[in-house]
Amino acid sequence: MENLSFLIDGLLLGFVYGVAAMGLTLIWGVMNVINLAHGPIIALGSFGVYLLFSRLGMNPYLALIFTGAAGLLLGIVIYWIAINRVIEAPHLSSLLATFSVNMVIIGLGTAAFSTTPRNIDYSLGSLTFNTITIPISRIIAAVASIIFTAVLYLFLYRTTLGKYVRAVANNRAAAELMGIPSRRILALSFGLGSTLAALAGGLIATIFPFTILSGGVYELKSFVIGVLGGLGNPLGALIGGLALGLLEGIIPAFLPVTWVPVLEFALFVLILLFRPTGLFGVKK
Amino acid sequence: MAILEVNELDSGYGEVQVLWQTTLKLEEGQLTSLVGGNGVGKTTLLHTVMGLTRAWRGSIRFEGREIIHLAPHIKADMGLVLVPEGRQLFTDMSVAENLEMGASPRRAKPYYERNLKRVYEMFPRLYERREQRAGTLSGGEQQMLAVGRGIMAEPKILMIDELSLGLAPVLMLQLFETLRQLKTLGITLLLVEQNVQMALAISDYTYVISEGRIKLQGPSWEVAKNPHVQTAYLGLS
Repeated sequence: MENLSFLIDGLLLGFVYGVAAMGLTLIWGVMNVINLAHGPIIALGSFGVYLLFSRLGMNPYLALIFTGAAGLLLGIVIYWIAINRVIEAPHLSSLLATFSVNMVIIGLGTAAFSTTPRNIDYSLGSLTFNTITIPISRIIAAVASIIFTAVLYLFLYRTTLGKYVRAVANNRAAAELMGIPSRRILALSFGLGSTLAALAGGLIATIFPFTILSGGVYELKSFVIGVLGGLGNPLGALIGGLALGLLEGIIPAFLPVTWVPVLEFALFVLILLFRPTGLFGVKK
Repeated sequence: MAILEVNELDSGYGEVQVLWQTTLKLEEGQLTSLVGGNGVGKTTLLHTVMGLTRAWRGSIRFEGREIIHLAPHIKADMGLVLVPEGRQLFTDMSVAENLEMGASPRRAKPYYERNLKRVYEMFPRLYERREQRAGTLSGGEQQMLAVGRGIMAEPKILMIDELSLGLAPVLMLQLFETLRQLKTLGITLLLVEQNVQMALAISDYTYVISEGRIKLQGPSWEVAKNPHVQTAYLGLS
């Protein structure tokens, strides 16, 4: 029965992984940029919620909304400063550009916050069914993740601006010919990807302790999930996140927990070898 | 009055010059055609006019205003619209969404309902398939959608690159008929074609381009009588 608890824990956390991966995969899908600054933005999301909670006494879930908005602005600023100038260049250039942003955020973050772990001292308790105990913060994180996914889908499929994002992702030159200012749409997309990263980071902060460096782990998980679900496919990212969360819930029942990343990356390599479009990926 | 004036335009890719002092005018409300063989610079000219390819020298004036350095989306906003070669549809989006994206220019928004009705009347097939993904349409339907998307943009000038390429003759005739309708709506048209015979038959004025230079121009009926055109493009001797 204890194993079942782990499983549920893993599954609920998987939703949050899914949101983080969705941010990464959205940016890749729209502009073919691999965002190596994804992890630090996740960590900044954690700090956003933490600071609003600890300094201003704001409810962490209210703080999440402000943090997400800040993530949007940050992403748009990063796009115009670092990405726009290399958007036409080969992939290596944008990879280096986002890596530089990664270094800048980690450098400034380490100076400002040090690398002492922080945590949000805000407990909602747990729900207990027989022998299964589920922390309420995880349930809220999962529900919030589902809401973010739904909002993203409504935006992409039901609003004109969201359709512009899909049009630019699909065929940027044609979008430009139809009067869509494609670079502004790319900036918006980078902002949305960063929002999702910041939201995931904020949710993680309500569950685990974190430092400015801890985003890296979630960035790597996002890569695994992105490949699992098919890069450029947001819903695939959510399902991939659940799969990874489940895996993390199951593995400790059989092996020491230190094996989790090993198996995750073995999975990553296997998918790249045998199904590079992802388990739910669309063939292009 | 000329609505578009391209003057001594040079352009190309990297080190390779493709267009050499190209000069061309579109008269308002007329159907102009630009004909020539493969790889002589027709598409490059359209891309340079739209700003997808950077111009090296020369000028491009639209309604008297210099537009050579403007981004493609700004030109589309002004009413200069290209239906690109190879359709370039949003293949992952539905037919209806493709048409909706066509109406992105600000000037197109007030005419959205009217233009949508117009497109669906011109191409009933698109109405039947409006929920279908554009990538799953047949070649002919994709070309209809590409033209329809251009109409949605409420163009002052509609430039169409290779309208007839790869289409069955019946479909080709239907699309050429559409051009006549668009002309009666007052849209200035530039048709770029490899099918010289059709282009000469339907257009008012024709430019013949070869090796990146305009070789010949005149009213289409006059160009059609030109002995060089007859041997080189129409297969007559």
